[in-house]
Amino acid sequence: MSSILVVAEHRNQTLADVSYQVLSKGRQLADQAQMELLAAVAGVDIDAYAKELTRWADRVIIVNNDQLEEPLAEPYQKLIAHLIREIRPGIVLMGHSSFAMDLVPSLSVELGIPLVTDCVDIFWQNGDILVTRSIYNGKANASYSFAQSETILITGRVGEFPVEEGQRQGWIEEIEFAFEEECDYKKFEGYLEVEAAGVDITQAEVLVSVGRGIKEKKNLEIVEELARVLGGVVSCSRPVVDYGWLPSERQVGLSGKTVQPKLYLGLGISGAFQHVVGMKGARMTVAINKDAKAPIFSVANYGIVDDVLKVVPALVNKISELKGRTE
Amino acid sequence: MTLTNFRYGDVIHRCFRCGYCKFPINWMDVNNCPAYARFRMETYSCGGRLWLTRAWLEGEIEWSDHLADILYSCTACKNCEVKCPLSFNIDILNMMIAAKSEMVERGEIPSAAKEFLENIQRQGNPYGTSREKRDEWMEGTGIEAYQGQEYLYYVGCVGSYDTRGQETARLLGKVLQKAGVSFGVLGNDENCDGNEVRNLGEETLFEMLAEDNVAQFQGLGVQKIVTLSPHSYNAMKNDYPGFNGVFDVLHYTQLLQELIRNGGLDVSGGYNAKVTYHDPCFLGRWNEEYDAPRAILRAIPGVQFVEMARNRNGALCCGGGGGNFYLDLLGGSEDSPARRRVREACETGANVLAVACPNCLTMLEDAVKAEGLENKLTVRDISEIVGEACVIK
Amino acid sequence: MDIIACIKRVPDTSEADVVKIDPSQKDIEKDRLAFKINDWDEYVLEAAVQLKEKLGGTLTAVTIGPKEWDEVLRRALAMGADSAIRIDQDVSADDPHIVAIILDKVIRRLPYDLVLFGAQSEDFGSGHLGAMVAEILGIPHATLVINLEAEEKKIHVQRELEAGTLQSYTIDLPALLTIHTGINQPRYISMGGIRRAMQKELQVMSLSDLGLSLDALTPMVKLEEMRLPPKGKEAELITGAPEETAGQLAKILKDAGIF
Repeated sequence: MSSILVVAEHRNQTLADVSYQVLSKGRQLADQAQMELLAAVAGVDIDAYAKELTRWADRVIIVNNDQLEEPLAEPYQKLIAHLIREIRPGIVLMGHSSFAMDLVPSLSVELGIPLVTDCVDIFWQNGDILVTRSIYNGKANASYSFAQSETILITGRVGEFPVEEGQRQGWIEEIEFAFEEECDYKKFEGYLEVEAAGVDITQAEVLVSVGRGIKEKKNLEIVEELARVLGGVVSCSRPVVDYGWLPSERQVGLSGKTVQPKLYLGLGISGAFQHVVGMKGARMTVAINKDAKAPIFSVANYGIVDDVLKVVPALVNKISELKGRTE
Repeated sequence: MTLTNFRYGDVIHRCFRCGYCKFPINWMDVNNCPAYARFRMETYSCGGRLWLTRAWLEGEIEWSDHLADILYSCTACKNCEVKCPLSFNIDILNMMIAAKSEMVERGEIPSAAKEFLENIQRQGNPYGTSREKRDEWMEGTGIEAYQGQEYLYYVGCVGSYDTRGQETARLLGKVLQKAGVSFGVLGNDENCDGNEVRNLGEETLFEMLAEDNVAQFQGLGVQKIVTLSPHSYNAMKNDYPGFNGVFDVLHYTQLLQELIRNGGLDVSGGYNAKVTYHDPCFLGRWNEEYDAPRAILRAIPGVQFVEMARNRNGALCCGGGGGNFYLDLLGGSEDSPARRRVREACETGANVLAVACPNCLTMLEDAVKAEGLENKLTVRDISEIVGEACVIK
Repeated sequence: MDIIACIKRVPDTSEADVVKIDPSQKDIEKDRLAFKINDWDEYVLEAAVQLKEKLGGTLTAVTIGPKEWDEVLRRALAMGADSAIRIDQDVSADDPHIVAIILDKVIRRLPYDLVLFGAQSEDFGSGHLGAMVAEILGIPHATLVINLEAEEKKIHVQRELEAGTLQSYTIDLPALLTIHTGINQPRYISMGGIRRAMQKELQVMSLSDLGLSLDALTPMVKLEEMRLPPKGKEAELITGAPEETAGQLAKILKDAGIF
């Protein structure tokens, strides 16, 4: 294999965290196999990104083109297909972001190359690359090998690969790339940021966070009460937003907010990775869930295996009692 | 869109909202409809729900989440049917169930009801816990699988899965063992009895459960059934015959009463407490069995029995019927029927509130905690009281 | 508007301790598990039925799997699908690329303006089948769709990105979308509805009916091994009745200076 190519992603003047993460992994894999690590970044005013990427990559390919300024699947598919045909990398690596999810499946079909998405591990075994995926919502792992192919396509799960400081001083190469025709069948109309209506869960010191284990919207009342006695606010996992019980600005996790409170109290949250990725920076985590095997218990400092609706009212009472004594 | 298949269209207008449906038997107050007691709005009484259903039927109002919550807050406790002075009273609860059926057919039911029914479709219980764990309650009890013994002991979903329900299921098993009753259980092959499924308006799912259970019981040669839950008792006694499933069905209090009377069960160990008794709707109003549980309590030395002001067919429902032990549309307030009920139990001066239903047990025990009455009142299933009286550890 | 909904059946693994690895180490033990429609696909069907109710046209549900998979098609038919097709082939552990080739062949035989997939599946969750099919069909796609409005010739969609950001597109039809949870509130499917749906046509096709053979479909990735994930650190468990656990926890929180 010749080289590993990492395609970096950026939006709002920031390189995505996951791009750094897969770049670090790419560096490691390249070193282990004595391969060249390439990084690609495209858009306008991308010199600063390129410079940043040279700390990990041996060579950074930059493509100045205003049609590549936003991370949109169609133009990027054309660009990456072009780069793969020109550079012929052995591995193309991207973060498993919403951008990649829209892009890599069609790319793999267009080029007829193998794809494994959302990998939690990527490693060499007897000269071949293998990957591990987390399946059944984190309850099992599966490893995969690839059929013979000049290039393989891999996306890496957000938060799985620690960022190691880059020590390289790679060089930058600009490539000319122009689009032959405009994509007129799919028109990008812009972004919509979910507005926070008064409550900013990222600023809270204490988060009382609820999952589907609270069963009914009405049970939010007692949870609000608990948040009140703890001086915190209520946040939630994705199903609670899906059911319409709380607005999406309260959602913690991959598609919601990333939080780092002093206390994260998870109530009836099973702890799927998409959720945990948004709260693992909490200084203290307590989980209450009736399923003793729920993955949240391997993230939490303290756990209670019980029905949330039984523990929470008692907890409100006990905290009020303790507060009453000190006040 | 309005109601299309409603089979009581020609009689539902006859409710003129006299309001009797909200009273207990002796007119002591107006809070004997559990949903009305919780929300204190006419809307939530049987009469209110009938008028809303009629308005829905006639196109005056449209379906809404709120309408669904109001209809599903009916616990099917039958107080309205007992109190309604009109001749159509035998149908008023069926009208509620028929209105829920219409919502089920349109797929527009409260999210907790959807979860409840889908869990039963998939795992045979409302909790969605694996079928393979249904027998975990009986670990270490030495209770045998049913293979032609005299009785099939049918445990039900709450007894099989709820932690507190499991305790009573085990204890009843031990009491039956101690009395030398020949019985067996179905373990992981037991399926939901369907009583609440019917009350939630999912008629076809109920039919399937009833057909499957009848076929299973008959295949095993079952003739006598003793149930832990009055809900199972009701379905098997009153509904299964309609599916050619005629069995000799007993609620466990009926069997224990008989065992004590004929000397088969020695309760001389006694139980020293001032005890009051809460009638479960599906044993009481639905099947008019008021005496067996009381006879058991009176037969136990040391029990000082007192009645609550509302008792027998005037008893206030715990709020757990109609699937509400899971849906919980009536919880979260000091006006919740379960909390009202435990306060009423306290007023008798009793220190033990006896129940004969695992649903009532969990509902009322939670209410005791919510009311902060733990030091005054303990909720015990009659199986547990008998267990203590016949010295089972 | 003619819609095709591609759906699948998955084991119910919502309880953590029900997942055990099969001795082959290529699958989990499935014989004791209950099965259900993939969570995302419930939202797919609800979205499809709502579009059909609003705009008319046909709705066809498609799945690939053995006989038991009819169950998810019956749900689709009960919900309002006009017809259903099952490709009789077990592909549950195969390379999604192969599954995409099969689905392309089925979809091409049908009239369609819009093809809907779930954004991912509860079992393998690779989340790339839909967009692969779109590329083979040669139609535009959008993944992770959380809002959808359809007109005669085009659709307006919003994709869910990270950190609460949505991305809007207008896409010409025909197109393919992968639907995310939360786009709607899926209705309950009554058993009565499912029984009535037994009357509706459910077509079963084989790979050869589609002009395909399994031998000619070469996977590009291979499942090597399945195993349980390594055990992480475990929380310190507080045990007892709710009163006791709540009391202990309150004290822990107080000692930690939370309140």
